Amino acid sequence: MLTQLRIEFIKLIRSKSFYLSFMALVGFIVLMLWGFYSYSQRKAGGGGQAAAQFKYTYESKSYFNGLTFALYSVVFSFNLLIPIFVAMTAGSQIAGEARAGTLRMICIRPVSRVSILLSKFLIVALHTYLLMAFFIGLNLLVGYYFGWDNLELFPGPLNLVEEPGKIAWDEALWRFFYAGFSGTWALLVVAALAILFSIVMENASMAVVTTLAVYIMLYIIGRIEFFEDLRPYFFTTDMDFWRDVFKPIIPWRSFLHYGSICGAYIFGLLLAALVVFDRKDITT
Amino acid sequence: MWAKILTGALFLLMIGCAIYIDPVRDRSLLGVRDPERARLRLMTWNIGYASLESDSRAHTEDLKAVAETILKNAPDAVALQELTGQEQLDVLIGHLQQRYRGAVSGFGGQDRIEAVLVRQREARFEEIPSGDRYALGGVFRFQKEGPEVVLVSAHADAFNAARRRSFTGDVVDWARARPSDQVVFIAGDFNFELRARSQSNIYTDNIKHDSEAYSYILKYFRDLGRDAGSTAINDRRIDYIFGLPEVTLLQRAEVLKGTAVGRMDHLPLLVEVQL
Repeated sequence: MLTQLRIEFIKLIRSKSFYLSFMALVGFIVLMLWGFYSYSQRKAGGGGQAAAQFKYTYESKSYFNGLTFALYSVVFSFNLLIPIFVAMTAGSQIAGEARAGTLRMICIRPVSRVSILLSKFLIVALHTYLLMAFFIGLNLLVGYYFGWDNLELFPGPLNLVEEPGKIAWDEALWRFFYAGFSGTWALLVVAALAILFSIVMENASMAVVTTLAVYIMLYIIGRIEFFEDLRPYFFTTDMDFWRDVFKPIIPWRSFLHYGSICGAYIFGLLLAALVVFDRKDITT
Repeated sequence: MWAKILTGALFLLMIGCAIYIDPVRDRSLLGVRDPERARLRLMTWNIGYASLESDSRAHTEDLKAVAETILKNAPDAVALQELTGQEQLDVLIGHLQQRYRGAVSGFGGQDRIEAVLVRQREARFEEIPSGDRYALGGVFRFQKEGPEVVLVSAHADAFNAARRRSFTGDVVDWARARPSDQVVFIAGDFNFELRARSQSNIYTDNIKHDSEAYSYILKYFRDLGRDAGSTAINDRRIDYIFGLPEVTLLQRAEVLKGTAVGRMDHLPLLVEVQL
């Protein structure tokens, strides 16, 4: 199993998509910086439009401190950007091998198919964590340039709290650390789905596109207010638990409940993938 | 085989955990009951119609039902929104068998007005200007020895979050400028779009304006109806009663379901507090 993991890890770090995912995240942070800069120039802070228009405001320079920037950047990217790279990596794990003609050769080695699949899944999990950790770390590093201050939270934007709250900056750094793990756990649902499609479809592009289609379809439907009764049935709703670590008081029961539901999706899909892959007739 | 069994076991364990761990967070704003202290009942109700109607202001034929709800729940003061004018208030007071005194705000640039009804006869009323609209404050004494109570009836712009923010600032600033021996409650339809529990919106400027306005009120006041549920059509909670946290002990907060008549799109919010 360890040898298998080592092989899969080498494959991962040699693939271009691995580096592409990190570069795209860097690009996203650059755009976020540009957006925040233009916003602060136009609306917030001293002399901005908001300061002139409203007698009171939280739009001071400290509103968008380094930690706030990191929080917004991570939350904005989590739902629609990072899942793309997770689906890309996971969706190409088996189907990519089939497409390249190497799957049959891998499977005739004296290694069980279950070990092959599990090692591939663990490498996808590692990649997902690296993406989250890299993105959070880079955001915090960029945020450090603006200065870390207490993480101020307000009702409405990000929908994290029901009343204004605050997390001290040193505690907030721990929360970002936790978010690396909770975010990875949530994204593994997408990864498990992509792995299953990767086995069923034998075509990496189809597996990735199908995964993203399912994910984005549920995400969009879940965000439309008319269809709010459907939300509890979508895994995209349960995946939102990862953000609970940014609440001033972490709602542990809710966190563990939705984390467990995500776990059920992950292991359920993985079990289905194992069963299908173990019985699959590999003809390529 | 062991890997499949382990994965299956983990799958079942996760389902078990999800069932066993109840996510409901039981956090109540209710204070400890003190049977000795009298309770103040306040109500807010936007009695207008949904904006799709040809005339979305209150309809005079509904006022009898409005009066019945008020009489049944016997609030000490009521904040009403979207009346067409003084005549409607007079009709309503008539249905209330003259048990309440009331006043309406000025029209400003609007076609509808706010009103305050107070059970106590010596109540007085003050207008609160904000841009081209008014809120209205009713000042009364709830108990002979107790402090004066002020109930503000406010209605923020339904279509412009920046205006809501400015309006909220003016109303809060007016409330904060009251003498320290007065207990102020701000009630009304603020139209804030804040759905922290069920949504995960991408950031918008409108949401930020509402967030700023709501946060500004909560800097000084407490949202007494927070756990009472939605007050308007489409499960929106846009009607509020805010009270001072240091003097207000919340005993009950309830949205009175089934009381809307005609094509009303709001329900009344009733709170009961001890001072």
